[in-house]
Amino acid sequence: MVKKALWRYTYTLLASRSRSGYRPTESLGMEDAIHSHQRRSCRTTVLDRETVEVEYTPQGVRRNGAAGWRIMFSELAESRRLIWLLILRDLSVRYRQSVLGYVWAVVPQTLTVAAFAFLQASRVLPIGGTRIAYVAYALWGISVWQLFAGCLSSCTMSLVSSGSLVTKVNFPREALVIAALGQPGFDFFVRLVPVIAVFGWYGVAPSWGIVLMPLVLLPVMLLALGLGFVLSIANLVIRDTANALGMVLSAGMFLSPVLYPPPVRWPFFLVNLLNPLSPLLTASQDLIAEGFLTRPEMFAAACVLALALALGSWRAFRVTIPRVAGYA
Amino acid sequence: MSTDTIISVEGVSKKFCRSLKYTMLHGVRDIARDVFGLSQYTNGLRHDEFWALNDVFFEVRRGECVGLIGPNGAGKSTLLKLLNGITLPDKGKIKVAGRIGALLELGAGFHPMLTGRENIYLSGAILGLGKDEIAEKFDAIVDFAGLEEFIDSPVKHYSSGMYVRLGFAIAAHAEPDVFLIDEALAVGDILFQSKCYAKLREFRDRGTTIIFVTHSLDLVSSHCSGALLIDKGTKMALGTPKDVIDEYNRLMSQRRASTNPPPENRAVEVNALLSSKKAEWTDLFTANPNEDRYGSRKAEILEAGIFTLGHDPVQVLERNREFLIKIKVRHNVAMPAAISAYSIRDVKGTVLCGTNTLYENIDMGQVQIGTVVLVVFRQVARLNPGDYLLSIGCGAWEAGEYIIYDRRFDYLPFQIIGKAPRIGVFDPESVVEWERLD
Repeated sequence: MVKKALWRYTYTLLASRSRSGYRPTESLGMEDAIHSHQRRSCRTTVLDRETVEVEYTPQGVRRNGAAGWRIMFSELAESRRLIWLLILRDLSVRYRQSVLGYVWAVVPQTLTVAAFAFLQASRVLPIGGTRIAYVAYALWGISVWQLFAGCLSSCTMSLVSSGSLVTKVNFPREALVIAALGQPGFDFFVRLVPVIAVFGWYGVAPSWGIVLMPLVLLPVMLLALGLGFVLSIANLVIRDTANALGMVLSAGMFLSPVLYPPPVRWPFFLVNLLNPLSPLLTASQDLIAEGFLTRPEMFAAACVLALALALGSWRAFRVTIPRVAGYA
Repeated sequence: MSTDTIISVEGVSKKFCRSLKYTMLHGVRDIARDVFGLSQYTNGLRHDEFWALNDVFFEVRRGECVGLIGPNGAGKSTLLKLLNGITLPDKGKIKVAGRIGALLELGAGFHPMLTGRENIYLSGAILGLGKDEIAEKFDAIVDFAGLEEFIDSPVKHYSSGMYVRLGFAIAAHAEPDVFLIDEALAVGDILFQSKCYAKLREFRDRGTTIIFVTHSLDLVSSHCSGALLIDKGTKMALGTPKDVIDEYNRLMSQRRASTNPPPENRAVEVNALLSSKKAEWTDLFTANPNEDRYGSRKAEILEAGIFTLGHDPVQVLERNREFLIKIKVRHNVAMPAAISAYSIRDVKGTVLCGTNTLYENIDMGQVQIGTVVLVVFRQVARLNPGDYLLSIGCGAWEAGEYIIYDRRFDYLPFQIIGKAPRIGVFDPESVVEWERLD
């Protein structure tokens, strides 16, 4: 019921938006004829108001310089609605035939944290002091980590799991990868429920800096998207990618300051220096505990890296997709 | 490229790799070259690669309806993918002047858990339709697919026919300039198929260019303004449906003859000394490998075939043209010449027509051991377009009982083609006269 209402709501939302903000039908002519998927991946020449000529050659997709970027962004804008619909599809489909539904988004991390809280409390694992209560610290850390790991693995699987959509339909495929961020993003909000409960239980009062949290979480998702563009293509060609990723991610959780504070001794702190996610995780913890960033320069570097990676791999994605579309 | 040309394919080649292992290796190299802006290694074949399409040239004019035919694995689907821009050619150039819509796989992009309604919106968005456009066409799509009742059920509960209907309805309502269809329509029932063909005719009348892959030659001859035959990645023929179909049949009969040598005829072996006359037509026809043969073999059918009046072997006949059925019967004992017969059945096995030398009052007299008699039946192909099977046989009345010497049911498949539609299986060549009575 709720999901149906969600769909309906979106349709009406989109309808009203397009009614108010779009070009009237009569003037569509040229722009509409340059159909998004033909503007992509090929040289496009407008012949007259109605026809558009596309040309496919072996080197067809390479477009250098600013023109390439302009087309990428304008197409991204055009596929906004598609991305949104794909996100809605994933959200509404995921637990359609399930009883517990979104409880499944919460259970695994709660169990992990419970286990670590036990290890910490029983002194089996010597975990250093944390700025806020350990359970709250670990639960928050694992939520952010899950956001990253979830985004990355769902981006990586996005092309392969779409199967014939990739091999048999020509449309901007990056929409699939970008839309793959929706599900883990939504799950993050669901996971905030136990986080808030635990914060309340332990009486952890986050600082006002928490309102800036989206500015920290956005680069986390961008980083995942950037890696995801590359890995989704890699996974199309070599299916080992997804398996390897699962392994790397489970190791990565223990190498990031998720369940324990970052190590400070040589050479162990190198792990944090080389891990682009560490500054972002630390920044998110800073915002809760202190209200300011303890290492702003590291945070800035990680943001720049995430942005550069996302843009660069997006471009590489577009260049390579027609070459590897057949592998799906 | 003249203004009338909507698709031009210039020397296009595409290669694929046979083994998955090397696919991965080549894939990684291709990606690296793309990312670093190196030119692709496109001219030669690397390890385990082959040309799925090789140097294909053709042009399609605006408003044409082209049937793309060829044996399995000829490269038809690859060609459609290239035209749609899903994959890039390794050589050559493809130009398309118009908005392309494609139906390469029905329901590609449907999510099984979503309802029909949700899938229409999603598929529409994937095909590039705006929200308003979909809303506007929604009722027409549902109506065309005939799914009013089930539009709010998840598509995983749909029958394959319903799936197909919805997929076609969405693609058709995207109203492209060029519509590519890959063998998709064969799944729907007759009613829906005819609805689809009506839609395609409507497209054609509106000036939409259509390219569709099919194995039904009858469809090509009845719906298309042109046809393209490809085999092993090479363009074999491009032209009028009739010419291309003839070429296709020639190709298929050669293929069958070379890959499937006919099983050795035991009787011929046993009686090899009795006769120097051997089968000569085996290479000319694509015989049915599953023919049903039985009989005492006192006389046997050496071979049989369908020919034009000019004695050219054919397996595709034009409706209402005269043609020949030739049967060679070898007699393995001295006796009165056997009665030779033919009958024509449709693919469901209904016997449609036939005759024999007894009914036609032909007496061929006594024959010696090893005598081969050639019987030629000449008649008009009065059957309506479709697939048929020729059965032949020989036998005789012996002491009040009809003895079957050799009967070969469904020996040779053949097709009848014709443009104007008729009702039923038989064309009585009605002559219509009329006057106004007022």
